[in-house]
Amino acid sequence: MPVGGRISLLALLAALAAACGGGDAEPRRVVTLVTHSSPGGGSDVFLRELVPHLARLMGGTFIVENVQGGSGAKAMAAVAQAKPDGSLFYATTPTFIYTSLLSDPSARYTDLEPLVNLFFDPEVLYTAADSRFTTLRDVLDRARTGQGRWGAANPASLERQVMEQLKQKAGVSPAITTFEGGGDMLINVLNHTLDMGAGELQEIRAQLDAGRLRLLAVVGDERLPQFPGVATLKEQGVDLAVRKFRGLAGPKGMSAELVAAWEAAVPKLLDDPVYRKRYMDNSLQPGFMPHGDYARFMEAFGAETEAFLRQSGVIQ
Amino acid sequence: MSLDELIAIVPAAFGGVTWGIFGGALPGISPSITMALLLPLTYGMDPTTAIVMLAATYVGAEYGGSIPAILIRTPGTNAAAATVMDGYAMTEQGRAGEALGISLYSGFVGGLFGLGVVVLLAEPLSTVALAFTPPAYFALGVLGLSVIASLARESLVKGLMAGVLGLMISTVGTDPVTGLSRFTFGSPELLSGIPPILVMVGLFAVGELLAESGERGWHQAAPERARIRFPSPALWRRIALPQAIGSVIGAFEGMMPGGGGAVSSFLAYNEARRWSRRKEEFGRGSPEGIAAPEAANNTVACTTLVPILSLGIPSSNSAAVLLGGFLLHGLIPGPMLFVSHSGVVTGLFAGLLAANIAMLIVGYVLMGPCIWLVSRPRPYLTAFIYALVVSGVYAIETSLFQVGVALAFGLAGYALRYFETPLLPMVLGVILGFMVESNYRRALVLSGGDHATFLQDPVSAAFLTVAALFLVGSIAGHALGARRRRGAELPA
Repeated sequence: MPVGGRISLLALLAALAAACGGGDAEPRRVVTLVTHSSPGGGSDVFLRELVPHLARLMGGTFIVENVQGGSGAKAMAAVAQAKPDGSLFYATTPTFIYTSLLSDPSARYTDLEPLVNLFFDPEVLYTAADSRFTTLRDVLDRARTGQGRWGAANPASLERQVMEQLKQKAGVSPAITTFEGGGDMLINVLNHTLDMGAGELQEIRAQLDAGRLRLLAVVGDERLPQFPGVATLKEQGVDLAVRKFRGLAGPKGMSAELVAAWEAAVPKLLDDPVYRKRYMDNSLQPGFMPHGDYARFMEAFGAETEAFLRQSGVIQ
Repeated sequence: MSLDELIAIVPAAFGGVTWGIFGGALPGISPSITMALLLPLTYGMDPTTAIVMLAATYVGAEYGGSIPAILIRTPGTNAAAATVMDGYAMTEQGRAGEALGISLYSGFVGGLFGLGVVVLLAEPLSTVALAFTPPAYFALGVLGLSVIASLARESLVKGLMAGVLGLMISTVGTDPVTGLSRFTFGSPELLSGIPPILVMVGLFAVGELLAESGERGWHQAAPERARIRFPSPALWRRIALPQAIGSVIGAFEGMMPGGGGAVSSFLAYNEARRWSRRKEEFGRGSPEGIAAPEAANNTVACTTLVPILSLGIPSSNSAAVLLGGFLLHGLIPGPMLFVSHSGVVTGLFAGLLAANIAMLIVGYVLMGPCIWLVSRPRPYLTAFIYALVVSGVYAIETSLFQVGVALAFGLAGYALRYFETPLLPMVLGVILGFMVESNYRRALVLSGGDHATFLQDPVSAAFLTVAALFLVGSIAGHALGARRRRGAELPA
């Protein structure tokens, strides 16, 4: 059965259950959260963990729907065409900006309205624990000789951008190569093919806990509470920070009340002790941004990414 | 493990396997999609049950893929493509039941072997995954491609042409190094490339249907009274070697990220043929030609757990969905899982054993209806397969574009049949093209453009040597065969 089919079946069941519940005067509200990621993928896991807590705090029934295909293009189109009545939202990640810039989707990221941001995925630079490089400086020194080897998970990704910008700002000349996902690259860090990799904390958590990896730097504005000893790139003298966002966006034209309801609910959600434990375990960093800030952030992120892709010749 | 846990695991294993067999048997629905469709439903289960169910789905799907491969010449999964040749040949000889029996039994043997490897050797074998650098992956891909030389039976040139076509198709999508969009014509649908499963569904299923529609005198399908038969003792002995070959190749392939079931099936088929006493039967309904790839892909379904459990790294799309299942239940697979959640790990092992037994039982029960279904009059069957293919492909991403892609490859398949060009080299090219290209370029970026890197890396050097020996041998064989044929014609 297609995903959409089962989802609508679930919605039907939920509506039936609500109708049979009897107590409420009006049927319970059903809110669908759309992601482009497949079940089990990053955004999917994020939404499915989020949903029970949202239902508890905001009331109503929350459903996760996977609209895969076209690296987010189909999901963007589905959300852009929906009614702005608060029944459909899209889980934003940098992917939807990259897809908008790299191809010609029917709806682009600018056709959606950013709602609020919830989290940042901490980006880190790391190397193997038994590598001969113990600090970022060691890795940069080696790259200065023209022999460095750095890796990023995917060719057109925020991690790639981080590596290229680090190369520029530090004035070194390593070979930068990309892989098909974080796991693929992790192997090449563990077996010393790469001096250093860039990736999300969540992807490397298992190896980090087992003591097989060493963190070299945090690519953000602040240190991570879980790893207070690891300095940011800025602290280490390189003016570079990125924020890999996880939030929600909706169709254009959402009402002020709707936005306000979410702006009120999300900070409460992030402070909730049960949910807090869950997302901290998953290495997510709370990063609430209200609607206005999020819209400006998204605009700046899009502009910066576009400039980078243009400069590196990926798009004309 | 307590009795309660066991009571939860066994139904999960049966349920997962059944779901997996259906998903795997539907052309277009890959094992990873079958698992992904199930994933949201496992959210409410306890972690062990959920993980067992997902792993069992994978096991079932790897067998399920061989059912349409054998019965209607359409591999249900990438990994079942190698089974098409001898499986369908046996069906045409009215031996469909026997072929399914061999596939099921070989999958069971492979699955048990794989499980043994995972239980006993997961930790030490995780180093296998770490031995693979970009040059090594490139060489593995080249070794896989060298199989084309033996898949192209009559004409080496046509085989190579088909292989190159496949390689060309694999270049559609995002450039693996620069991130540029290649041959996508601005379409977001093509950003992540053309999925190999669509190419196979088009070439095999749709192409075959088109070709058949043009034939005069539609006949009743052959296996009217095909009985389901498990291998006889003599056959057991005969397929033991190919099963062993398939199991060992599958065990290694499962551990290598990026390898996956398809590469292992083709390599196993090829090696089984090389070591067989009855080489000439391959491609014409050899039981060994089913046993080797089917043992291999079911071994992969188990050993793919090695990198997940020991490193936390998924080695294939299916493994990635399994990883998602772990994460959804708050478990982080990796070196610490054995320590922190040893109960889940033992539960998973018990569940996999149950899944392999369940596969034997459910597979046996389903064989009868499957054979009945394909024994219907040809026009009904043809209409049914069209419906199956279109709905299966549409279901992947609810995308009409993908249905169009599959139908376009159907036309290509018809054209290739017309020119008597073998299809499998093309499939191999599509499956391996991206792996070969991306790792070739990665290796050169890392070595600063120095090709010596492929010989300095020991794993790469070994694979390339084997591939070279194999190519020389095959080409010599082709040349000898051609001379013999000429010689036979002359005396007259």
